Amino acid sequence: MLGQSVDVRKGEWEARLADIKYMLHLFRKNPLVMTGTSTSLFFIILALLANIIVDPNLAYPEGYSNSMYPFERKYMWSADHIVNWGSGIALYQGSESFYLGTDGWGRDLLKMMVLAIPTDLYNATIITIVAAVFGTLLGAVAGYVGGIFDEAVLRITDVFFAFPGLVLALVFAAMFGRTIETLRLAIILVWWPPYVRLMRGQVLSEKEKPYVEALKALGAGHSRILLRHIMLNTIYPILVQATMDFGGVILTFSALMFLGFSPSPALPELGNLAADGYGHLFDAPWVMLFPGLTMLIISLAFNLLGDGLRDILDPRLRR
Amino acid sequence: MIDRENEEKTILEIRNLKVNFHTYRGEVKALNGVDLRLYSREVLALVGESGCGKSVTAQTLIGLLPENAHIIEGEIILKGEDILKKTKEEMRILRAEELATVFQDPMTFLNPVLTIGTQLREVFTLQKGLFVEALAIARTKGNLDFTELLNKQNSVFQTEIKPSRRETRKVVNSLCVGILRLVKLPDPERILKQYPFELSGGMRQRAMIAMALARRPSIFVADEITTALDVTIQAQILRLLKELRDKIDASTLMITHDLSVAAEVGNRIAVMYGGNVVEVASARTLFAEPLHPYTQMLLRAIPNIANPVERLESIPGTVPDMINPPPGCRFHPRCKYAMEKCAEERPKLKEVERGHEVACYLH
Amino acid sequence: MKLYEYMIRRLILLVFVLFAVSVVVFYLVRGFPTGIAPWAAYIHSRMTSEQIEAVIKAHGFDRPIWEQYFYWLRDTFSGDWGLTGTWAQGRPANEVFFNHFPYTVELSVVATIWTVTIGLLLGIVSAVRNNRLPDHISRVIALAGYSTPSYWFGFVLQLVFFYYFSLWNLPHLPSSMASDLARPNITGMPILDGLLTWNLAYVSDEFLHLILPSFSLAFISLGFLARIVRASMLEVLRQDYVTMARSKGLKERVVIYRHALKNALIPAVTLTGIFFASLLGGAMITEYVFSWPGVGQQALRAIFQGDSNFILVYSLVFAAITVVANLVVDIIYAFLDPRIKY
Repeated sequence: MLGQSVDVRKGEWEARLADIKYMLHLFRKNPLVMTGTSTSLFFIILALLANIIVDPNLAYPEGYSNSMYPFERKYMWSADHIVNWGSGIALYQGSESFYLGTDGWGRDLLKMMVLAIPTDLYNATIITIVAAVFGTLLGAVAGYVGGIFDEAVLRITDVFFAFPGLVLALVFAAMFGRTIETLRLAIILVWWPPYVRLMRGQVLSEKEKPYVEALKALGAGHSRILLRHIMLNTIYPILVQATMDFGGVILTFSALMFLGFSPSPALPELGNLAADGYGHLFDAPWVMLFPGLTMLIISLAFNLLGDGLRDILDPRLRR
Repeated sequence: MIDRENEEKTILEIRNLKVNFHTYRGEVKALNGVDLRLYSREVLALVGESGCGKSVTAQTLIGLLPENAHIIEGEIILKGEDILKKTKEEMRILRAEELATVFQDPMTFLNPVLTIGTQLREVFTLQKGLFVEALAIARTKGNLDFTELLNKQNSVFQTEIKPSRRETRKVVNSLCVGILRLVKLPDPERILKQYPFELSGGMRQRAMIAMALARRPSIFVADEITTALDVTIQAQILRLLKELRDKIDASTLMITHDLSVAAEVGNRIAVMYGGNVVEVASARTLFAEPLHPYTQMLLRAIPNIANPVERLESIPGTVPDMINPPPGCRFHPRCKYAMEKCAEERPKLKEVERGHEVACYLH
Repeated sequence: MKLYEYMIRRLILLVFVLFAVSVVVFYLVRGFPTGIAPWAAYIHSRMTSEQIEAVIKAHGFDRPIWEQYFYWLRDTFSGDWGLTGTWAQGRPANEVFFNHFPYTVELSVVATIWTVTIGLLLGIVSAVRNNRLPDHISRVIALAGYSTPSYWFGFVLQLVFFYYFSLWNLPHLPSSMASDLARPNITGMPILDGLLTWNLAYVSDEFLHLILPSFSLAFISLGFLARIVRASMLEVLRQDYVTMARSKGLKERVVIYRHALKNALIPAVTLTGIFFASLLGGAMITEYVFSWPGVGQQALRAIFQGDSNFILVYSLVFAAITVVANLVVDIIYAFLDPRIKY
């Protein structure tokens, strides 16, 4: 009996390996997906190396503390500090040439953007993972257990779905103060409901399948059935959703920063950098242009990846 | 070798048709040189197990192969022309006028969000000739019975007076009702307004047959049309087919895996295996004197009321792998008469007696 | 009959959701001392502490939270939705809201029209020319739209079509705000009023002002719609009944439009409905970037100022719109697909 189950396991793994090989093959054939993947990898590596490439102290101009700041944002932008394309007068850092111009404080925009990438990617990762894990677990348990718990979870999810757009995140962030943690929590609050619905639906249909009944007859405990079997089988759509959400989360995060929720106006973050340029759209368009463009490229890369992932995994889901 | 007498009666000839499919696991060599002839006014049953290529043959005939299919070689001659050389648009017109297909599962092959009437009417709108004839009859006789229109007239009717919209609608409507009556559907006016899911399986299948008949085709392709139905309904449909067979001019290519169905409706039966036609004979001859080893074993595997045996013989081995098929005759690994020649070169279809062809080195 | 029951159930759900939303928002804006004080919106820096005390008392901010909620509930039911803070000159909240709402509606309608026309076309083309060049191009467009930061795109549009165009002496589109020509006020809906009084100058001016912000909104979501349409079209084109339609000898265009589209559009329609509802509620960033006097812009200000009355009004109205939109969309779905029965 034991020998038999080991054999079955091996067969299962071989099948999975063959699956994965086929998927990688499909992956390679699609140029868009490859572009997305390589760009995403590029940005991830950049994020990891960013603090080495650029000195993080460059972000904070002299005399500026990193603490939370009062309500109004004060622009440190005056006639002395507006710099033009190419070379210019930096605030405190010698006169090197600036490839992308400087921002409102005279900091080198390119360097700031490089510093901003880890902030964005890191926060987006945390948010996506927490939202996905929380939503998925909740949805899985709700779908499996059913009954009043399920009803309650559904109603709560409905309430969250009813909130228009970013209102919940904005109100939360505004009320709870401007720290990164608050911001993260605010966005998590908005992004978790879709996972609940997704996972719940999957679990509901998986639950009816014969193998679940077989497992129960074998005496497997509920948590084992749920975690090891059902969830493993239904993980693909969640993975796809999470990858696709990643791009959206980055956008939301930077949008909130843009609107003014950053803990410090000097924090290197793409939305924050863009916000600097808002008052001077036509005098110094580069301040808004480049951070936003980078945001677009990052988000596009991850979305291409997620989209390609969905295409590859999707028809295979119909076994 | 072609039977000289039948030569004038051949309306469809498939010669050495080879079709492959590209899949990620490799090239599936689905059709390996199919030879087939269809005579006028006959029902030819094409039988074989799943995967032997009968549906693929039909799909190639009507020009609706999936995208990953590849026609390697061969010709399909219909009325003197090789239709494999035709453009997509030409094939479309051919489908509208000459080649009608009835499919297997009427649930999935009918559009769930359109009424039966809509789906039937759109067939009629492509049939200008039919419409003109119907118009003429409607105007002269007032009443329209579809049986008069069953077969295409070669004369061309001219209308001097163009029909009004209302008249057109009336004529099309009576055409629809008439054809539904022809396939023995009760209360046709009501059915026209219903959606497919509101009808039973047998009724849906009749509706599909109606949609095919409406085109007054030269060739009627029936792809496993009774497979999805239960036995009693199956019997009804077969009975309907036999009635129609005598009334219409068309030839029917009846694809089925069920030998009993083939025997019931077919004038001749062609047996396919592994992408080739291995034997063709009249229904009676095939059952009485099967020549190909595969046919023989197939027949021995069917229970026979008249002659019960203790044990049914099954055919040893499994269906050939179409990606790496056995060389030569594809049946040879399972054949108890296999010779060396069989593994080297595929035997071609040869006429052994009048009207009886086999592809086997035994003959 | 069953449909009727279903609707009643959904409406009861609506009421429940609204209550829940109100409680959550109320607690958020008035209950937490760590954030902005609930009275911050109603005071300004020149007030003395006694004046501030008076304001607090007048609004009842010194009472316990559940008492505040109860009073708020009572007021809301009797139509008094409170006053806004100093940022809006202390006018009644619903007045501020309904003054600006028509502008948001205008923007949403035009944006939805853009989205539906372009998105549908893009989706159908990608599906029919699956995996060939048009598919790849439209996929990139779709994903690019989806990945674009809304603040950035609005800005780029303004930069190009307003600033640079005027620099290059090309006819340019106005960059921000709605039209400031004199507007007759009948229904409150800007373009509608203009049409009703046949004030064509106003209508065209307003329309010109609408183009950029609505396109900015639309660009971001038309990609999403296109992907959904593509996916469902591909699904439908694989179906047997499409093969059947082709075997009847129908023209390809007829096959696509009559047979495939009707089935494929069902999810697209539901998506559009929900999209429209969400636009109504959340085009905040676009309104901000374009200085469009819609309700989203006001809400943004209210949130920054901590104006609990306005925030509550805004949240509740849009929660209601969202839930009702979902219900309407479900009904339309049942209508389109004859197989669905409640």
